[in-house]
Amino acid sequence: MSFTKFITRFNRGLLYAFMIALVGFTSLPIVYMISTAFKPLDELFLYPPRFFVQKPTLRSFFDLLTATDSSVVPFSRYIFNSLFVSVAVVLSSLVVCCLGAYVLSKFKPPGAGFIFSVILSALMFSPQVTQIPTYMIVSSLGLVNTYWALILPKIAVAFNIFLMKQFFDQIPDALIEAAHIDGASDWKIFWRVIMAVSKPAWATLIIFSFIGNWNDFFSALVFTTSESMKTLPLAIQTLAGGPGVVARTGALAAGTFLMTLPPILIFLLFQKLIMNTMVHSGIKS
Amino acid sequence: MTGKKLSLERKKMLAGYVYIAPWAIGFALFMLYPLIYSLWLAFHEVVGVGNFDLESVGWGNFNKAFVLDTQFIPLFISVVQDAVINTPLILVFSLFIAILLNHKIRGRAFFRAAFFLPVLIGSGLAMQQLLYAGVGKDTLVNGIGVPEEVFLYMGPTFSQIVFDMLSRLTVIFWKTGVQILLFLAGLQGISPSLYESARCDGATEWEMFWKITLPLISPIILLNLVYTCVDSFTDINNRMMVYIKDTAFTKIEMGYASGMGWIYFLFIFLLLIIVFASTRRLVVYTGEK
Repeated sequence: MSFTKFITRFNRGLLYAFMIALVGFTSLPIVYMISTAFKPLDELFLYPPRFFVQKPTLRSFFDLLTATDSSVVPFSRYIFNSLFVSVAVVLSSLVVCCLGAYVLSKFKPPGAGFIFSVILSALMFSPQVTQIPTYMIVSSLGLVNTYWALILPKIAVAFNIFLMKQFFDQIPDALIEAAHIDGASDWKIFWRVIMAVSKPAWATLIIFSFIGNWNDFFSALVFTTSESMKTLPLAIQTLAGGPGVVARTGALAAGTFLMTLPPILIFLLFQKLIMNTMVHSGIKS
Repeated sequence: MTGKKLSLERKKMLAGYVYIAPWAIGFALFMLYPLIYSLWLAFHEVVGVGNFDLESVGWGNFNKAFVLDTQFIPLFISVVQDAVINTPLILVFSLFIAILLNHKIRGRAFFRAAFFLPVLIGSGLAMQQLLYAGVGKDTLVNGIGVPEEVFLYMGPTFSQIVFDMLSRLTVIFWKTGVQILLFLAGLQGISPSLYESARCDGATEWEMFWKITLPLISPIILLNLVYTCVDSFTDINNRMMVYIKDTAFTKIEMGYASGMGWIYFLFIFLLLIIVFASTRRLVVYTGEK
């Protein structure tokens, strides 16, 4: 008896050791990034690069502020642009794509199969190639240099509806039928049944969508020209090119570090929703 | 009676079309039209940059890609090779980790965050900076402290293989976060009562994995397979994408860039059709039962 107990304990310990080793491996880039953000100038240019910072300093962060704080646009404007655009895209995309996926998965109207195959093919197309035609549409709608240009094209994304449809397919039809018998309307079923049950799915969607939009500098690059419409990644990206690159390496490292904080925050907020929702939904299939 | 039912059914379909309309409009405007336009563009080339003058070149752009351009085919093959090797590794590894994380272990939230953090950082700018600084290879292999003597003992070919595997593994570790999360969400969708009743019937963990877990998350496996494939092909840092982007925006050869984009697209399309056709019978949709 005590021997089998020892074996299970030992196995558990082995599992933890294995997991911790893996975590150590995956966290290397993060450690490297954080330590680079706090490196003084001479350590930034060491070759071969050192993994850990020797004399940590906040200089890079001040460099970042002075490098991006042009006389026209304060640094906080970039942060606001990025936050506003990302949040607007995520929320509207969530509602629009979930409604679409609900129809494709549970209504199955004539043509649903065709629409789904179009979605699948659109998934595979590289967004860079369609950027020019998209620009033409945006400019003919007169939206260049507005927030609309950064938000509208990214709402009806193929990946989001594909993801939600795959998850909605997991929901048993019996659950919806039961709600129908109880007299719930389709609209109510969508919000009270489908969305309630698929909390892990849309929490995942929020996380992915936020990260993708937060990091995206490409659409701001193509759809906007004015300095005040730039998003944070584009503002930092412009630091990487242009003159005085050497002096700005520190600012770049600090900017990269700051850029990763909001996605981490969103992840920590929503990852709780991904777990343990099944307990409350009460489905038995 | 039947007439009333039919109209109800029709009413329901109508509601369905209304619900999907916002998505359909957005998709048609910002995805479908650009897609078709880029196909049209693939048979043309920009001659005057100022006012976007176009000239029809027929199949010229496709001919250029396959015959004239010496860079296109090698790049294409290397990208395909990467995707084919990485995808199964990523899927198996992420499913494995997701199942571990789905167990009731201490510090579950911590482990979940730790496996997802590379995604938060790896997507976009930070990844480029790190790759630029050479973390992809040297720093990480040295970072985890594989001593150089080990490589000396193994001989050049074998050590090269180990070295390649290590750097590939690093990249794979960075790329599995999304898949782990998707698998986790899928695993959470399986009702615990299924496992309980299986346990009562005397099933082992191993049997439960094959008979319950795997069939029930098969839609998510397919989702992950498609995601991984598409992600590795359309990754901004992928050399083919960089080449297409340069052709479009630096050399301003939009027509040629569109042509390459379409060749690329058709290839992935064929690949995924094969994937879908071959997995059709394996994927279980509980909703249809």
